[in-house]
Amino acid sequence: MKEITKKIQEIATKLFAEGKIDVFLAWEQEGELDFETKAYVARNTEDVKNIVFNEYSIYNIANTLLKFRDTQDKIGIAAKGCDSRGIVRLLEDLQIKRDRLYIVGIPCPGLKDPLTAARNYGGLGKKTAEEGLAKKCLNCTQPNPVIYDELVGPEQTPRQQGDRFAKVKEIEQMSADERYKFWEDTLSSCIRCYACRQVCVACDCRTCIFDEMKPQWVGRENSTTDNMMYHLVKHAHMAGRCIECGECERVCPVHIPLMLINQKLIKDIGELFGGPEAGMQYVEGSKPPLSVYREDDPDSFL
Amino acid sequence: MKVLSKAKLTTALNKLNDAAEVFVPMQKGEQSAYYPWKSFKDGQDELMLEALNVYQSPKNAVFPQTEKMYGIKTEGVKINIDKTYEDPHPTIIFGARACDVKGIRALDDVFLTKGYVDSFYNARRSANTIIANACYEPGPNCFCNAMDVNPIDPEGADVILRDTGDAYVWESKSEKGEAVTKLIADLLEEKEVKLPEAKPFKQNVDYSGVAEKLKSMFEHPLWDKLSEPCINCGACTYVCPSCHCFDIQVKMWGEEGYRFRTWDSCMYEEYTREAGGGNPRGAAKQRFRQRFLHKLQFFTERYGTPLCTGCGRCIIVCPTKINIVKIIDAVKEAEING
Amino acid sequence: MANHEHEAGHKCTCGEQPLVPTIVEVFDIKDRTPDIKSFFVRNVDGKGIPFQAAPGQCGMVSLPIGEAMISCTWQEEQEYLEFAIKRVGLLTDELHRIEPGQQIGLRGPYGNGFPVEDCKGKDMLFIAGGIGLAPLRSFIKYCFKHRQDYGKITIIYGSRSKADLVFKEEIFDLWPKEPDTEVFITIDNEEAGWDGHVGFVPAYVEELNPSPNNTIAVICGPPIMIKFTLQALEKMGFSDEQVITTLEMRMKCGIGKCGRCNIGSQFICLDGPVYYLKQLKQLPPEW
Repeated sequence: MKEITKKIQEIATKLFAEGKIDVFLAWEQEGELDFETKAYVARNTEDVKNIVFNEYSIYNIANTLLKFRDTQDKIGIAAKGCDSRGIVRLLEDLQIKRDRLYIVGIPCPGLKDPLTAARNYGGLGKKTAEEGLAKKCLNCTQPNPVIYDELVGPEQTPRQQGDRFAKVKEIEQMSADERYKFWEDTLSSCIRCYACRQVCVACDCRTCIFDEMKPQWVGRENSTTDNMMYHLVKHAHMAGRCIECGECERVCPVHIPLMLINQKLIKDIGELFGGPEAGMQYVEGSKPPLSVYREDDPDSFL
Repeated sequence: MKVLSKAKLTTALNKLNDAAEVFVPMQKGEQSAYYPWKSFKDGQDELMLEALNVYQSPKNAVFPQTEKMYGIKTEGVKINIDKTYEDPHPTIIFGARACDVKGIRALDDVFLTKGYVDSFYNARRSANTIIANACYEPGPNCFCNAMDVNPIDPEGADVILRDTGDAYVWESKSEKGEAVTKLIADLLEEKEVKLPEAKPFKQNVDYSGVAEKLKSMFEHPLWDKLSEPCINCGACTYVCPSCHCFDIQVKMWGEEGYRFRTWDSCMYEEYTREAGGGNPRGAAKQRFRQRFLHKLQFFTERYGTPLCTGCGRCIIVCPTKINIVKIIDAVKEAEING
Repeated sequence: MANHEHEAGHKCTCGEQPLVPTIVEVFDIKDRTPDIKSFFVRNVDGKGIPFQAAPGQCGMVSLPIGEAMISCTWQEEQEYLEFAIKRVGLLTDELHRIEPGQQIGLRGPYGNGFPVEDCKGKDMLFIAGGIGLAPLRSFIKYCFKHRQDYGKITIIYGSRSKADLVFKEEIFDLWPKEPDTEVFITIDNEEAGWDGHVGFVPAYVEELNPSPNNTIAVICGPPIMIKFTLQALEKMGFSDEQVITTLEMRMKCGIGKCGRCNIGSQFICLDGPVYYLKQLKQLPPEW
């Protein structure tokens, strides 16, 4: 990983020196503890020395791109597999232009979750067992960047093994009542903090539907009804668009298994519409399946 | 000294639970928070009294995430407020650390002082007793001592427990404390035990002068750099033991419904968005700055003590690893131009 | 500015439950402009009003759909409270659709009000833009009611267009007739049938060049108008202790608890909304 860090720093320095970029988005380790790794915006060659790629560089850096969508900056960005799918998501949603980006692709070996490490170190709640790879990395189907200008590092093998949708199928087998009870229990702990929404790359609406008051679509009450509505609506907006980066589940302060909902949608959309999954390839002008109308669209779910 | 053997803890909790709803720090699956004792599932859940703290704070007991306020019924042009939902059922927070006790005292300052007494908070708080758990070994993120908190003698606790290994020293500090002591009087033994040694803090945070310095730093460029990683997600405000901002909204079904209040966060874009469309804090940096100034300067100016309690939860839960300690350090080091 | 302390005999709706409104009746509604209406409010039994509103104080007006903090533009003895409300959002939309006889929720009085006592013996300069005249009207009418306590009164008022001028009867007819009183009106753009002054309020103020001698200036209007008017007054020699304005922020609880309306350590609903410029300059520039 130190190798990759060095390479990224070299590329960033070169890009700054040649005036090809105004900012470079990557990660930095702010502090002595390695899990204190966070998103970083380098603005000049001085800043480049702070860039790292370590085993906690898990934060989806494509989310930081949203802060630059209205500026004119030329942007260099270091992107893992999941991050690169996030970039494709933003390109498809017309949130950012390809010619503004210089993408340094990093085939990702799987990383650890700094939030778990912070919790264990900080002493809150029960210590989790052996600190292995983050859950989202264990299920990774696309560690290699799908879009890049330059690659650093050897190609990686997807880590997902067995039936990708095993857990989803388990829930599909439940009766309607059992399923309702499962989701009622699971979503009852939601505190409506909206961390899942803020960290999601695909949540790029200027004014989120949940911030509208005229009319108010979902109440703010922390009740079963409102909590369920929030999650159903939020994740339904991800149908055909979710890039399966797993950040929502990772940052949730009450550890709701949000990826179950997203994976169910990915499975269904795959079965109904076929085609490449969201963010897997960038073709200019392409749109997610639910943003396109075709006469022969499947409608069995209507 | 009065001592409660840990072997009798479950009995004590059960006895207390007969008189009031007891909230204890518990691990349920992946989550840890202050849950009602009666929801404890033997074999599945775990009591976390010996852990440093739990992920969520106990402020829920006196300031729930969602709280009904009053019922509304309409009939033609008439509006009727038929009932209000003050809830005076007795509660006990068992095992609160000093930082969390300070959080509730901060809520007391907000809701019970400065001219108006919030009736909903008052009802819950009057019926609430705090049994604190003295903290002898601060964690790596802890800095309550810099925030006006004494970890082994938390001010505002009705009873203080001191963990001696196989038992708790039970120290009643107030009238409410005496009342709950009576409930379990027969479980307490009278004996002298050695108190644990208070270990030092692992980090030294110096808050002195920060509130004063911040007064002239509203437009300081350091806010640009510090706020850059923030994604305004609100997780910090929801796990914080002293965050108190709330929204008031309504649920109506035709002619009947109720007004309720719910936690809100200064991190959200629509928090200060006015009906006409103007928004004094439309930019993420402004909201970020508001949060930290509120914690470290505004509250200190208004109530004489910082709103931050030094519990370290926000540091652990932030997805982009923003750290209030680092912000305090940055403020201390910042240069102020003329 | 004093905080709201409960003195003995203090009459406000809050009682023991400051967040629960009293139900009152809107017995009359008058159109003032295409998007501003005056709502006249009294107790449901027709006798009296729910609270005493000092000039500049506000009430939290509500329908089931929501609550909004509106300044009380005038309290007529013990007969009614008048609120001038502009249609801008969820609640005000619905308020503009109600008919006389409709009941609404009301709680208050909130806010510190204008310093009517401190201003006694001074010449008063009222500067308002758009709906900003509504809060000032309570102070202006108070001055007329206690005419001998105040010196010369000058009112400078402007709005987008002739139709958008509020309280037309008062500004054109009644107030200019009051003793030692001058009223100057302006609209933003030229318009057929208007032969009065055309131009923005801050520029008009500079043009009229009122003297700061023994004068207190009270300003209310859109933030941009306040900003430029303050600059103009400063240029004309008004000191920070001679200028008063009222601030606004989004409000929910109205009693300084929900955290939303703060500017620095001040809650605008409770410690404000009326501030001397001197106090404003000590607050963070978020207004």
